[in-house]
Amino acid sequence: MTADTRAYTAARAAVIRRKRAAPWLLLFPALVIVLIFFGLPTLYMARMSFNLSEGSKLYTPGLSWANYQTVFSNTVFVAAIWTTLKLALMASAATLVIGYLFALLVWLKPARWRLILIGLALCPLLISEIAIIFGWWMFFPKNGLLSFALTNSGMIKDKISLMYTEFAAFVGLVYLTLPFCFFILLSILDGIDKRILEAAADLGASSLTILREVLLPLTRNGLLVAFSQCFIFTMGTYATPSALGPDTLWTMGFLIQEQMLGRNNWPLASALSMVLVILVGVMMGVTRAFSTRRATLHV
Amino acid sequence: MSDGSAPLARRGIEPVVFRVLTLAFTIFIVAYVLIPIVVTLVMSFNDASQIRFPIKVWSLDWYSDFMASPQWTEALKNSFIIAVGTALMSTTSGILAAWAFERYDFPFKSLLYILIMMPLFMPGVVLGLGVAIAFGGLQIGGVTIYGSRGLVMVAHSLWAMPLVFMLMEATFRTIDNRVVEAANDLGAPPMRTFFEVVIPMVSTGIISSVLFAFVISLNEFVMALFLTDRDTQTLPVLMWLSLRSAGTPRLAVASVILALTVFACLSLIMLWYIRQLRKVSR
Repeated sequence: MTADTRAYTAARAAVIRRKRAAPWLLLFPALVIVLIFFGLPTLYMARMSFNLSEGSKLYTPGLSWANYQTVFSNTVFVAAIWTTLKLALMASAATLVIGYLFALLVWLKPARWRLILIGLALCPLLISEIAIIFGWWMFFPKNGLLSFALTNSGMIKDKISLMYTEFAAFVGLVYLTLPFCFFILLSILDGIDKRILEAAADLGASSLTILREVLLPLTRNGLLVAFSQCFIFTMGTYATPSALGPDTLWTMGFLIQEQMLGRNNWPLASALSMVLVILVGVMMGVTRAFSTRRATLHV
Repeated sequence: MSDGSAPLARRGIEPVVFRVLTLAFTIFIVAYVLIPIVVTLVMSFNDASQIRFPIKVWSLDWYSDFMASPQWTEALKNSFIIAVGTALMSTTSGILAAWAFERYDFPFKSLLYILIMMPLFMPGVVLGLGVAIAFGGLQIGGVTIYGSRGLVMVAHSLWAMPLVFMLMEATFRTIDNRVVEAANDLGAPPMRTFFEVVIPMVSTGIISSVLFAFVISLNEFVMALFLTDRDTQTLPVLMWLSLRSAGTPRLAVASVILALTVFACLSLIMLWYIRQLRKVSR
């Protein structure tokens, strides 16, 4: 082996080493954010959920299932889990129907409408949740726009208030999730050749038959992904239901905040969060199991 | 095909029913999306001190009231600082990570992909709680981390960075590999290739990333609620807290200011995009 070849091998090794290190250097900032500010807090939260809460201290170190027992036996928390799931299920189902019709509308309308309608769908996504809450907050109550419009047009005599009802919370939640559903479904629909509708119509299928036999099977994966996306999002949203809904509408998110900021019970808040995270995870897993091929990438 | 709705409705009374239903749904969806926005916009020009319809006198009083209140302008300032910080943090880290995924092969690639994307699917209340308890009592060199703007920036980056990452990964995939290879063949070191060849090619993606990250941070308030104190609270947090006590038209003004900032960002993206298109066609 001559000096030349040895120098060559050494240089080559250095290049390879640098090549191996390069992706890790590039990934470094992102990994710092994810590991230190997401991974570490999650582990910390998992550990915290087994601690005890006694007296005025934030927590006392311990190792017990007591918090989880509280979450699954105390009626307040059990009711909150059911409320959260029920609300998420109802809101996601409604969003799916409205979002599907909306996406179909944009898909079928001539191109000149497309940009305007897409701009419309972007609004709920780009406006802060708090601004949207406040908007509905001025629409539903007795002095609100709805009541004013209805009494003024003579449709009803007495002022009405829909504020602090489950309906108001529901309307607010659907509003927030609509864009997610819409854009997922529109991207799926855009991949379908529109002439397939013509073909089905030529073969004598009615509009409803086309919807049932052609469009729904083709968009099945998209619908599933959109539903689970809405479901996950709704489960974690607590500001809208707690601000628009009745005082008794306690979702898991609301109780987490209540325990954390109001009662300073960190272990119980952590246990509730862990249950919420696990529910989100289960939902994602279920979607993944049901959907096929490329649709999974969107989850 | 100019009108795609034709085949869906062809025979008998179907076209009429179909047209009526389409119209009804269009009206419904437009009204649904616009109601909270229009109500807020209208209310911000109200003169009265209460939320009440109809509005009798129009004025800009609540705007001057907002600007004259140190508490609210301070919150707006906090929001801007945090949003700028989040935008810088998440765009830098997101772009670099996306480039690593596009260019290199390394172990645990798909696992790392899931890890980077995961925070995006976590509820804000859970992320806020986690960061709050993990960094709650921490002090570094006498500076309390908890309640600082920096901590909120990082927390917001947990949502903004995966989005930037996703956007930039898609953008990097569109660039012409031959140009990058040519730069390498001509002897440019990887760093130089990246900054002088790749970055200019994806400028639209980068501008979009920066502004989307900015908008996400500007609008977010659940994590900020957990992580800020009186001195660092953001505008949405202040809005949430004052909505709980009493809603006044001042909240409408705050909403309008937030929304205007967001639409200004969107216009910037559009302008940049048009500029780039002109450059290409020239």
